[in-house]
Amino acid sequence: MSGRARYVATRVALTVPTLLAMTVFVFLLIHLVPGDPVRTMLGFRATPENVRVIRHELGLDRPLVSQYFSWLGGLLRGDLGQDYISREPLTQLLRERIPVTLELTVASMALALLVGVPLGVVAASGRRFGKVTASVFTIAGISMPDFWLGTLLVLVFAAKLGWLPPTGYVPLTAHPLENVRYMTLPVLTLAIGEAAYILRTTRASMQETMGRPFVTFLRAKGLRRHAIVYRHALRTASLPIVTVAGIQFGVLLGGAIVVETLFGLPGVGKLVVTAINQRNYTVVQGSVLVIAALFILVNLATDLLYGLLNPRLGGERA
Amino acid sequence: MTAIALRAVRPRNLTARLGSREAAAGIGILAVLVLVALFAPLLAPHSPDAIDADHILGGPSWSHPFGFDALGRDVLSRVLFAYRASLGISIGAVALALALGLPIGIVAGYFGGVVDNLLMRPVDLLLALPALLLAISLISITGPGELVALFAIATIYLPILARVVRSSVLAVSRELYVEGARARGVSHARTIWSHVVPNALGPAVVQASVLAGFALQIEAALSFLGLGAQPPTPSLGLMLADGYQVLQQAPWADIFPGLAIAITVVAFNLVGDGLRSKLDPRGISR
Repeated sequence: MSGRARYVATRVALTVPTLLAMTVFVFLLIHLVPGDPVRTMLGFRATPENVRVIRHELGLDRPLVSQYFSWLGGLLRGDLGQDYISREPLTQLLRERIPVTLELTVASMALALLVGVPLGVVAASGRRFGKVTASVFTIAGISMPDFWLGTLLVLVFAAKLGWLPPTGYVPLTAHPLENVRYMTLPVLTLAIGEAAYILRTTRASMQETMGRPFVTFLRAKGLRRHAIVYRHALRTASLPIVTVAGIQFGVLLGGAIVVETLFGLPGVGKLVVTAINQRNYTVVQGSVLVIAALFILVNLATDLLYGLLNPRLGGERA
Repeated sequence: MTAIALRAVRPRNLTARLGSREAAAGIGILAVLVLVALFAPLLAPHSPDAIDADHILGGPSWSHPFGFDALGRDVLSRVLFAYRASLGISIGAVALALALGLPIGIVAGYFGGVVDNLLMRPVDLLLALPALLLAISLISITGPGELVALFAIATIYLPILARVVRSSVLAVSRELYVEGARARGVSHARTIWSHVVPNALGPAVVQASVLAGFALQIEAALSFLGLGAQPPTPSLGLMLADGYQVLQQAPWADIFPGLAIAITVVAFNLVGDGLRSKLDPRGISR
């Protein structure tokens, strides 16, 4: 148990430098913009006076290091600064949008696992029909750009059949059923591609596990195939699935940027795209930071779960 | 290693030499696509920029099998030309990522220890951001464009390729023939070049092939967000983004470029998966 405790402690400790490095990267974003970011932000019609005021408000006229630390201090107090277009505090802006992105990505991952793992098991150990279906699904899911898939879904389910709304959003807390109607197409868009990856990983991992001596032993013992597959092999085979699901969550967060834009969902992803197009750098910084932090935390959670599932954990894996 | 044995069993036909039918099929499709991109001006039935005002959003016909787009341009001709930008960005990005990532990964894996940490820690930081987010953060600094998209995708791929080749070099460096070369007094540089690299590159090749396919998807996503190639350059991603605007009236303007991307991704994946059994028996690139 002490080995495991050490693993948890190391892994949690490793998150801190990663998060710090991330803040440096995000902080530098605005400083790497060629020319004067404030002038770019305000456009050509800005008066020198305007530029000077905003520069001062952003603290851009102070030394870089002192800027960074006061910005980091604000972060730790939960103050991310201000949106210079709507004049809203960024913290408020993000607090409204994070739940949308979380709902989208978590629901997509859940659906992908729900579809991908059983299909993967069938593909590894089932009949020929299951194997072929799984292969076709994998190739289709992996090769289609996700927003193109979303486009086709809109074409069929919104435009032709009229079953689901093509764009828009209703908060889950305001009207749960309506929320599900609006989220169905975006979640499907992200989940189908994702399920293909989960399927592929599950298939490879199950194939490998089913060839291990302990499975042969269980078979020799006369255990039913069903019990071997689901009670014993799947548990052993789940380690790579957990790892891949963690990595793929980052892909989902990236995909959310596109899917939120496509379906008009007011999430962090849509916020960052709008902000980039408006050259609204403080908002870009805030939303990049939030998505990055989410990803780092999910990676941490994945590694901890891996530690929980892996009985042989030494101290070597970081 | 055993040159004599290799010569004796070298397979005769291409399929056997590549290790699988998938790889051969993938390479075949890709060869066709590259030729299409190179010879687009000869193959395209119409000019990709010619505007036919009478056929705005016109449907497919014999002379225009993929129909017309929102400006009355021939979709087939535009797809053929778009392969130039899309394959250019994809292959260029992978080549750049290989050029930077391979040396880092090789040196880190071969020397290990402090060198490994010094080189790989910064590279790992790039992996701490979701890939697409990293790309659009970089583009937010410079503004959009084709070359920017290429650099952004290369930045996403650099850490992935560096990691893969590092793991592979790490394994190969422990082999007896490497130790033997060092014991004979062969320099580090020579050992790396003639003993480690030839035996360690396989997984990177497999990974690079798969990544080249996904580059098309990333390019498409960036174009859709308005952060990729800029009009009037036709790229497959840009065509998808434009096609989405007229989805209901003219689905062909969106479906054909999408299929073009999907086929290319499948082809790169076939090559990658097909070569894996031959070039990456340890499964490092998985």
